[in-house]
Amino acid sequence: MSQPEDWVLLAYRLPRLPSAPRSAVWRKLKRLGVAQLGDGLAALPADARTREHLEWIAEEVTEHGGEAAVWLGRPLDPAARSAIMSRMTAAVVAEYDAVAAEATAARDADEATRRRVLARLRRELHRIAGRDFFPPPQRDAARAAVEDLATPRPAGVRA
Amino acid sequence: MKWATRAGVHVDRAACAWLIRRFVDPGAEFIFLDDLTAVPAGATPFDMRGAALGHRRDRCSFETALASFDLTADPALEEIGRIVHEADLADERYDAPAAAGLDILIRGLTLTSGSDDETLAVTGRLFDGLYEHTRRQLITGRPPA
Repeated sequence: MSQPEDWVLLAYRLPRLPSAPRSAVWRKLKRLGVAQLGDGLAALPADARTREHLEWIAEEVTEHGGEAAVWLGRPLDPAARSAIMSRMTAAVVAEYDAVAAEATAARDADEATRRRVLARLRRELHRIAGRDFFPPPQRDAARAAVEDLATPRPAGVRA
Repeated sequence: MKWATRAGVHVDRAACAWLIRRFVDPGAEFIFLDDLTAVPAGATPFDMRGAALGHRRDRCSFETALASFDLTADPALEEIGRIVHEADLADERYDAPAAAGLDILIRGLTLTSGSDDETLAVTGRLFDGLYEHTRRQLITGRPPA
């Protein structure tokens, strides 16, 4: 079983062509929020879920004629570890900031627009949460901005 | 028959185990492995890397099992396949709002269960209920009250 500080790593190699399996794997890794440590080396903090996801992606790589192995590892250099964590966090912060900006832009829109934007941004936050391994303060700010759209505005009053 | 899967079952394995016991092999006996190379002779592996009953292309193991056991003619099972797919993969291929709740409930169950058999006992009931609900909804076109 993995330790709390363990990372799960996927080392993979896929033929350049056809390009469709390569982009499918790339999209899946991106959705999971991996840290790309190098060409064909992706990492996530280890838990049952991340291990399983990377194992199935490894299986997919193999099915498409590539090579893949899943590893458990721990960075020996704390600076390397925090550099990876900051990079991963910066990626989700950018996503949270974009959501917060969209929510703020819709604040004074009409009721129907606000409801539509609210539903869409709630789904988007749910997606981001799936790849947010080190929640930054921007998460709460984005959530608050989105949930604010659920508060009915008194008629004729602009908040 | 004996069936083998990875220990620490989650939604896809729980759904497969339910499907096997209810539609394929009522006397199914499940073995839970930590070492994926240790599938005993005579046991059929499922939801494990390299197993025929595993993720195939973009399908989860439960969807693969439906096709492999020739159960795709049951629209309620197909619908449960979409829910399990989203609970397991969350790739938004299907519109399955029940998936998020199912994922959380089964994750919570595995945290509190003493064993995988204990988890499957509860998830078996859960999937029985989900199947009945889905079946009735498909007949009447409305969620049953």
